[in-house]
Amino acid sequence: MRTHRLLISGLACFACFLLFACSRPPSPLAELPEAPLPEDAEIAPFPPGQHGAIFVTTMPGDINTLNPLISEDAASGAAISRFLEGLTTLDPETGEIIPRLAKSWEISPDGLQFTFHLRRGVVWSDGHPFTADDVVFTWRDAFYAKQTDPSTGHPVVDPETGRARLRFPSRPAFFQMIEGQEVQVEALDSHTVRFTLPQVYAPFLLFGGGQDILPKHILERHIADGTLLDAWSINTAIHRPRELVGLGAFLLESYRPGERVVFRRNPNYWRRDSEGQRLPYIERIVTRIVGDANASNVAFAQGLTDAEGLQADNVTWISRAAETQDFTIHDLGPSNSTSFVWFNLNAGISPEGRPFIPPHKLAWFSDQRFRQAVSYAVNRQGIVDGVFAGRASPLHGYVSPKNRNWHNPDVRRYPFDLARARALLAEAGFAMRGARLHDAQGNPVEFALMTNNNNNLRTEMATVFAESMAALGIRVELQFIDFNTIIRRTSESFNYEACLLGLGGGAPDPYASKDILMSDGRLHFWNPAQPRPATEWEARIDDLMRLIGRELDPEKRRAAFFEVQEIMAEQQPLIFLVTSNEYVGLRNRWQNVKPTPLGGVLWNLDALWARPN
Amino acid sequence: MLAFILRRLLTLIPLLLGVTLLVFLLMSLAPGDFLTPVKMQRDVPTELIAELEREFGLDRPWYVQYGYWLGNVLQLNFGYSWSFKVPVTDLIGSRLFATFLLSLTSLLFAWCIAIPLGVLAAIYKDSIFDRLSSFLAYAALSIPEFFLALLAVWFAAVTGIFPIGGATSIEHEFLSFGGRVLDRLHHLVLPTIVLGIGGIAGLMRIMRANFLDAIRADYVQTARAKGVPEGWVMFKHVLRNAINPLVSAFGFSFSSLLSGALIVEIVMNYPGLGNLIYHSLLREDQFVVLAAIMLSCTMLVLGNLLADICLAWSDPRIRLESHD
Repeated sequence: MRTHRLLISGLACFACFLLFACSRPPSPLAELPEAPLPEDAEIAPFPPGQHGAIFVTTMPGDINTLNPLISEDAASGAAISRFLEGLTTLDPETGEIIPRLAKSWEISPDGLQFTFHLRRGVVWSDGHPFTADDVVFTWRDAFYAKQTDPSTGHPVVDPETGRARLRFPSRPAFFQMIEGQEVQVEALDSHTVRFTLPQVYAPFLLFGGGQDILPKHILERHIADGTLLDAWSINTAIHRPRELVGLGAFLLESYRPGERVVFRRNPNYWRRDSEGQRLPYIERIVTRIVGDANASNVAFAQGLTDAEGLQADNVTWISRAAETQDFTIHDLGPSNSTSFVWFNLNAGISPEGRPFIPPHKLAWFSDQRFRQAVSYAVNRQGIVDGVFAGRASPLHGYVSPKNRNWHNPDVRRYPFDLARARALLAEAGFAMRGARLHDAQGNPVEFALMTNNNNNLRTEMATVFAESMAALGIRVELQFIDFNTIIRRTSESFNYEACLLGLGGGAPDPYASKDILMSDGRLHFWNPAQPRPATEWEARIDDLMRLIGRELDPEKRRAAFFEVQEIMAEQQPLIFLVTSNEYVGLRNRWQNVKPTPLGGVLWNLDALWARPN
Repeated sequence: MLAFILRRLLTLIPLLLGVTLLVFLLMSLAPGDFLTPVKMQRDVPTELIAELEREFGLDRPWYVQYGYWLGNVLQLNFGYSWSFKVPVTDLIGSRLFATFLLSLTSLLFAWCIAIPLGVLAAIYKDSIFDRLSSFLAYAALSIPEFFLALLAVWFAAVTGIFPIGGATSIEHEFLSFGGRVLDRLHHLVLPTIVLGIGGIAGLMRIMRANFLDAIRADYVQTARAKGVPEGWVMFKHVLRNAINPLVSAFGFSFSSLLSGALIVEIVMNYPGLGNLIYHSLLREDQFVVLAAIMLSCTMLVLGNLLADICLAWSDPRIRLESHD
């Protein structure tokens, strides 16, 4: 009988355990006080809708944090952007900078002072008024706070840079410094903030103005006890979601690690429709966390979610379900993601005393005609058709055509033309011997091309690229390796010949590309962190980029950036391949849908509505 | 007994030292570190990378890093997760429950199926039932876990009877208490079967073999001769004696309670510890990986210890002091 009793008590324990787990009370956001509509409420330019629907999505990968100071991954960034807002933003329709929490602003004639007028009557989600103090707090107390030596009370100075060490070193803190200097922030009155820049910095209105504002009344105590970087962690999200106070359209209601994030509408949001109804219409956003983008796409095709960014290679089969599951796939055209091949142009010498690449190969790679010939020999349409099943566009320049305001459509193009490629190679002294191309010294032309092994599209593009080179008599050895190894080889050991990679997330302002385009940049792929520009054209790009950084006139900035793109196209340090097209699926029950290439389908999530389900 | 337990626990110390040292060494040999992917993002200032490198100690040799880590662990500080910025213990704690629940249900499932099947197979030895059950058991044993998990996901997707992944449904928070329990159980069915089915075959074969041994014993003959009813003989005498090896098998199962579900969790998108460890490993979030490995190591040693203690308790012939 002992066994029996044991079994029963074991089962009882298990049941208690399960009951305990399920009896953990859910943490609904108890009714929040609802403040009256702000006098400066923004009126959304959409027909009025109906409150109450639930919006279901999936996201590949879990969130890591809800603290904007330490967020690094896409999932966390997306969650944070649901409940925090900045003073300005980029208009997804026109690409211009438009008001957000600031209703207007003035820029002093010397371009150093930006005065923002905040919307009056706006309150945080918990009902606390939003004022200029919050803006000053975000910049001065959170970002620019200094470490102090507890014994002397003086700021701690970094021996290497000679600057005071930040108390909360974070990405926004460094990002919001201009050439290492701070911006002075002061509140002129309760709803006016003035930023004084140390030097002219053209993208400030977007980069500084777009900075998410943090709630002073919530985070103050974390500054006092020095735990700002630990605040708003996933522990907060699990146990105390009400502390995540924001100005965005939605608030975090609950979070279950690895399972889902639930957002609820902010009852105190500052936008309304033309009939005076407060936005957003959506009552809850339920985001399930799934393993990867494919699983996420599958969930949409089965009708489990409302909206989904579709991978180009999944579009065909998902579109078959469009009728039964009642959704529409919106083709947004070329995306921001680019793919390119470059040659290692680093003429340096490794610590062991060997050149990074053999001198005769460096001579080929450094020859503009060689790079142009390679570019002519790449069959971009072949990549679009063969690798992307037609769901991509050939890419000719540094900026994707998606970024209409900054894309220069008139750069030199390299259509697939083997005859011109051969002519250029002949001009540069290369000659065919049998089936192989040889240089003037008689070396056979061959190089190794590496790309990361966990990206199918890249390995397939590399294969097509190698076949294109074979048509010129060039042998390409393909190396599919680990991404971290690639980064080490391209940025530390420089032990490689050619590489195929891509960039995602288009920069809204050209100056964000300075680390890639300027010769001293960390991501100047083909020859990073040069003490002095190695070539004249790189020096010219450096000058133009500096001009883009300090010129306020949009036309002059555009002209300068167009010239940068022309130089890049002429020199081909990066041989661009294709950009995949962007597809978003959305169920037909949603109203006020207005897709734009820049904003996608969900940019006006606060104005989307559907009949409650 | 106490000395035995103490001695067992003391062996944990060199074991953990060796294992963590090895993990540290291997992770430092692997290309790149936690900050490598960050370096490829264009809007990360170079100063921040230098600052973080210094803060994480990644600019120092691995043995120095190991020394610091060990020092902290001795003060029971298992470190912070670099990507989550929360203490590793909190992070693991938040995922522990889901994994524990799944392992427990699958263990229960495996035992509840395997023991009756094994007993019946032994009683009706060489019958068609015996043949069939061992055929099925071997079939289940030979299907790899990940494949079975994929099949289960496919089954769920095609039939719609069971949810695809997750541990609770999206309405969970709005359900009544009973509804929440049922919802959880509903989500547990498929992962439990996938995780449990592999264990059934082994347990069943052990049970059958032991039962057969025990049936042939003299005391069974005696009991039958005394006129004890057949059912009483089987379940009171034979089963009690045949179950010993299963008790030690239980100890081993205990050791895999927290780490055995890794593959199933990843394939079936179950929000447990395995999923967390896998992603931390990919992301090279060092301290999470180390803590997870220490946890599995400790569970293994504790599991074996528990098995030995259980054996001593269930079988008075075994004395722990005498055999170490």
